Amino acid sequence: MSASTMQPNLDHLAGLTGVRAGALTRWQETGWPHSRVEQWRFTRLTSVEKMDLRPASAAAAVGTAAISAELPENAVVLSFSNGVLDVAGIAALSDGVTASFLSENDTALAALAASVPASHPISDLSLAVMTSGLHLEIAGKVDMPIILAFTGDDNGVSSHPVVSIKLADGASAVLAEWHQSAVGLSAPLMAIEVGNKARLDYAKVQHDSAQSAHLAATGLTLGEGSVFEGFQISVGGQLARLETHITLLGENADCTLSAIYLGRASQHHDITTNMNHAKGHCLSNQIIRGVLDDSARGVFQGKVHVAPDAQKTDGQQMSRALLLSRKAEADAKPELEIYADDVLCAHGATVGELDETQLFYLTSRGIDRDTARGMLISAFLDDAIDSISHPALADMLRPVTTAWMTASNRSETGDK
Amino acid sequence: MAPLLEIRDLHASVGDTPILKGINLTINAGEIHAIMGPNGSGKSTMSYVLAGRDGYEVTGGDILMNGVSMLEMESDERALAGMFLAFQYPVELPGVGGMSFLRAAVNARRIEAGEDEIDQLEFVKLVRAKAKHLSINDDMLKRAVNVGFSGGEKKRYEILQMALLKPVFSVLDETDSGLDVDALKIVSDGVNFLRDPARSMLVITHYQRLLNHIVPDYVHILAGGKIRRTGGKELALEVEESGYVGIDDAA
Ligand SMILES: Nc1ncnc2c1ncn2[C@@H]1O[C@H](COP(=O)(O)OP(=O)(O)O)[C@@H](O)[C@H]1O
Ligand SMILES: [Mg+2]
Repeated sequence: MSASTMQPNLDHLAGLTGVRAGALTRWQETGWPHSRVEQWRFTRLTSVEKMDLRPASAAAAVGTAAISAELPENAVVLSFSNGVLDVAGIAALSDGVTASFLSENDTALAALAASVPASHPISDLSLAVMTSGLHLEIAGKVDMPIILAFTGDDNGVSSHPVVSIKLADGASAVLAEWHQSAVGLSAPLMAIEVGNKARLDYAKVQHDSAQSAHLAATGLTLGEGSVFEGFQISVGGQLARLETHITLLGENADCTLSAIYLGRASQHHDITTNMNHAKGHCLSNQIIRGVLDDSARGVFQGKVHVAPDAQKTDGQQMSRALLLSRKAEADAKPELEIYADDVLCAHGATVGELDETQLFYLTSRGIDRDTARGMLISAFLDDAIDSISHPALADMLRPVTTAWMTASNRSETGDK
Repeated sequence: MAPLLEIRDLHASVGDTPILKGINLTINAGEIHAIMGPNGSGKSTMSYVLAGRDGYEVTGGDILMNGVSMLEMESDERALAGMFLAFQYPVELPGVGGMSFLRAAVNARRIEAGEDEIDQLEFVKLVRAKAKHLSINDDMLKRAVNVGFSGGEKKRYEILQMALLKPVFSVLDETDSGLDVDALKIVSDGVNFLRDPARSMLVITHYQRLLNHIVPDYVHILAGGKIRRTGGKELALEVEESGYVGIDDAA
């Protein structure tokens, strides 16, 4: 496929230099991954390739659309509309946070390029296009939750926001990404560096419109003794892949990355994680829960890699999917690659349905079937949601699953 | 006036296997009937058929409550109409909080009756008061439904639900099995407390000893999917002594 017919149309990027030029060259050489590529076997991008897209530009950005999140009171919101940052929000950031633009910060841009998934279609494409590039440096303890809100209304554009966040040693922050956009393709690229003994509480909600594609790539590095507690919910979009690569760079890092995907109609959700234990004595824990109705499809690919000298690694991963309809489908591909000998690693993946005996017990008490189903689905998801210890983030995430279940009951159509 | 519950020539199958083969039973308001019978005779099947469990297909006959057929009603509708089943094996619901479960059940009934949902504080008080009589402590109430309960605790929790829902017609399926003497007394007292001229019960049991505590008006012997004998409470003593040998053929 030649560069000029590849989607999106990148003709305007001819003059790039540095790491972005390199990314553009790689993208033009490889383009969208073929379905024969192992990492993309379960998630095919044919529908994205066929979209007629142009990258969003500053001129296309419209005013800030509202998001339906129940935001913490003291939050500061940085808004991206059609992939373009509204710079006005930066003024509200508190003292511990320094903002700059990646287009003017070569050091930050080079660091970002080094920590995001390498030779990855979204890393390359979004780094090259970069509809907006924001860099945040966080020092000290920042209590004010930072919310990155992504909205958009132009389904002819692809949005490529690039954000890098660096927590200095000993810093702490609360960060959330809220995606509620109707652009054709959202392809956010994030790089997060958590310094030694730093702590980041993080949440991501993918709540894009039903026709959108959402392909996210996130790179995370954790320093010695740091804590990362992350949670992702994928509920919107027609096709979504949330891909996260984590490297535990220092000893005694503690990493939780849990995820929920909720699908109906013909939605496709993909949660892909790559947990790389480079140093010993680290903990990683992943709880994945999926609920699929109608002919929705869910994919979880989770690789845990333990380097030869990462002794005393504790890496846990558990994926469970609940199918509410006979046409729904879930695939799980857990992979353990362990090169150290003194480790404690476990993974598991199950796919099941609602238990008829449990449903009967509830309905025999006069509880109607929809409510009974909702109670059992909530119970199934709470396992994962209970792993969020930051109260403001938990308060933001719970209504997302509740709203999904309410809508699920409304669309209930007899026997499936 | 129609009897509170009437079972007419009831035939039912599980999958392709006929289990109930023509049951006739009339229970008037205020009466307690006991059903005894050997293992596998169809007692639990009958309780599920009455409660409207999916997969327990009625192939003939009818079940009427106050003269109205229940066959077309789903299990939740039957419960709202006043039916209650105390399960032989109460079901564990991991992640479903006990209090929210009890409240959902009580509210479903109140909404059906055109009442407002129960006030949260009032509800907690109500549950605590009823739980106390059944020796159910706060720790048990806080747990997920039936999760981590002993066999006896599960049975008492069934009676707690019965006390909160005040059913018109209750089926108690081997509520006595696995109970020690003290627990049997607690459960029986709980059941007797709910005895009332307007309510009826069908008590399924394996052992005559329960019927010393919950004294039935009639005892029926179920074997091979049919009621083979009916008598007063002395019939329970008789089968306990001589067993069910020959009862199948007696019909
Ligand atoms: N789900 C089922 N599928 C097939 N057969 C069943 C099922 N449940 C019960 N049965 C059969 O129905 C008969 C009656 O069982 P049950 O009603 O449990 O007896 P009881 O409660 O009197 O011990 C037994 O032969 C049993 O094997
Ligand atoms: Mg039984």
